Amino acid sequence: MINPQSAALLRRIPGRAVTYAVMTVLAVIFMIPLLWMLSTSLKTRWEIMAWPPQWVPETPYWQNYADAFAKYPLARFMLNSAILVVLNIAGALISVPIISFGFARLRMPGKRLLFILMLSTMMIPGQIKLIPLFSFYNSLKLIDTYWPLILPSFFGEPFFIFLMVQYMRTIPQDLDEAARIDGASTWTILYRIILPLCKPPLTVTIVFSFLWTWNDFIHPLIYLNSFETYPISVGLAFFRGRYSVEWNLFMAATLVSIAPILIVYFFAQRYLIGGLATAGLKG
Amino acid sequence: MKVRRLSFTLSIVLLLAMLGPFGAAAQGDVVTIEWWSVASEEYSEEAQRGLVEQFEAEHPGIKVNLTILPESGFTEKMTTTLGAGEGAPDVAFFWDNNWFPQALDLTPYIEADPDLGPETYFPGFWTTRAVWQDKIVGLPLGVGANFVMYNKAVFDAAGVPYPAEDWTTDDYNALVAQLANPEQRIWGGDTPRGPYRAIWQNYGAFPYSDDSMTVDGYLNGPESVASYTWLWDLVATGGTPTPADLEILGTEGTGPVDLFIAGRLAMATLNQGHMLNAVEAGVEFGIVPEPQVPGNDRYVNAWSLTASVWAGTEHPDEAYEFLSYWVGPEGQRYLMEHGNLFPSIPSALEEYEGADTEYAQAFFRVLELKQVAEWANAHPCKGTVLRAANDAWDLVMLGEIGRDEVQATLDSLAPAAQAALDECRERLGG
Repeated sequence: MINPQSAALLRRIPGRAVTYAVMTVLAVIFMIPLLWMLSTSLKTRWEIMAWPPQWVPETPYWQNYADAFAKYPLARFMLNSAILVVLNIAGALISVPIISFGFARLRMPGKRLLFILMLSTMMIPGQIKLIPLFSFYNSLKLIDTYWPLILPSFFGEPFFIFLMVQYMRTIPQDLDEAARIDGASTWTILYRIILPLCKPPLTVTIVFSFLWTWNDFIHPLIYLNSFETYPISVGLAFFRGRYSVEWNLFMAATLVSIAPILIVYFFAQRYLIGGLATAGLKG
Repeated sequence: MKVRRLSFTLSIVLLLAMLGPFGAAAQGDVVTIEWWSVASEEYSEEAQRGLVEQFEAEHPGIKVNLTILPESGFTEKMTTTLGAGEGAPDVAFFWDNNWFPQALDLTPYIEADPDLGPETYFPGFWTTRAVWQDKIVGLPLGVGANFVMYNKAVFDAAGVPYPAEDWTTDDYNALVAQLANPEQRIWGGDTPRGPYRAIWQNYGAFPYSDDSMTVDGYLNGPESVASYTWLWDLVATGGTPTPADLEILGTEGTGPVDLFIAGRLAMATLNQGHMLNAVEAGVEFGIVPEPQVPGNDRYVNAWSLTASVWAGTEHPDEAYEFLSYWVGPEGQRYLMEHGNLFPSIPSALEEYEGADTEYAQAFFRVLELKQVAEWANAHPCKGTVLRAANDAWDLVMLGEIGRDEVQATLDSLAPAAQAALDECRERLGG
């Protein structure tokens, strides 16, 4: 005799099996580009286009990884990227809460207009800003330094501010008022009361800052001239020659370069998805 | 405690960063000029740094600061700095014709230079890459050209004789059909990258009249119809990769060299850089010019890269000194001997180490043909007109029109192309 709980469980098994089968198939499909990268990174250059394609090369050519690092200073490029990531995250963590708190909590004439103005800057394509920004930084003698790549983050990224403002608005005002009655200053309210409650949007800010900075190609390309200062995004582009691409080395270098992103995503995915959901951005 | 630790870590990172690319560049006593370049199959970074060392040893008053940029970002960076009118390099490739207005007019320097002039270079490259609107805007570095490379192993396996240099467009289509082997995923040959290049000009086809006034009778004239019909026949063989195949399997728009070397494309329209790739890969291959049309002039899509001095340079004399060294006989010889450059200077090209090889000889013969760029450079509206008439290309490539519909398709596009030409002529001139 099967008890009702077991019977219900048994009834659910076929449905669950189908769900897991579909999810596994989808996961494999989504993994194909990554697996192809791995496979390509272990082939000699002229095996890549061979037919029929070999997913697992007969003789894995691990030397590609050494060759990629020998050809260009990838470790240096990755260190440069790491420096930029740390500074951009720091900039975002300093600027975004302060600006967001102002928009979400403080009273000021024209605040709404300023907020709309700030949001409207998100709609300006980046390419349009390149030349004026280049002129601006050149007039400050900051070309070929990291300043143009980190200063903007210390002045607030509109997307993160929007996210944080939306989240802060969901926190009851009573908390601020109670703290103020207890003698807390505006700074104390921000850093002791509000920010500890803003972990989801802060996580999104950190993760997206990381991803955007790590992957940014055009800004380092435009602002930096010295080879040894290039981040990994620019460094990888050197594997594309004028007439051909060394796909095997390129894929080896790319796999190494995305490892930090995968690691960050692996550990942060729960917070990231939770952050997006609680901030109302999940589709 | 946590905040302190974080502050300490941030301070260390900032300090480390300050030691690196945050400081200002030191000023030396000598004149420093900025040179932006790319590394390629023809001139590696090492070769170019070696050239700088040699130049500086011979010119102690000039220091050259070489910046090597990735090929895929050079255009964006140059366009930004030239657009800003500041921060551009003293010397660089000006490979985009839109940059020519910002190149220093080198005419007085060339007139005063006893060692360098139009006679130094291949005439075709001087007229197409150095002279613009009666000014000398740069010097042509290296030579490149499209030609058809054929994979001997694929021909041998199919028992098909190699093509001869005097082959025709009909021969090409016949070979594609013979060599294609769908079971083994082998294509017989590729399609041209676009219309009105070598094969179109071999048919005598041009998109509009030489005086840049009329489209009718040119875009839809008998020569153009013959060219598009030849393309229709080629696509109909089923032996060519589709546009989607090439998008996926080509190499970032530079040509399907990987497919060719893997033996999956029996013939491919490639260039001298790909030729060097094939040599490196140990592939047995031959080279022939793009197929001709009997009785007509024969053309080659050839190029050289314009290297220029930026008009905003603060050191024009020193910049020219370096430019004339880099792109002059000394520099091109150096890059040929320490890299793989094919010089645009005939006397230097003759000294190419592999000049006696079969492939190099074939490449040199291709360079003797008339150049597509001569008409194209004299007609700045070509691109605009072709964009207006692009449907013809797409419809044929996708097999969406019948062979007998080519004429009607071109007729239908002529008014839009004429309007584009009229608008462009007002803007850019004839």
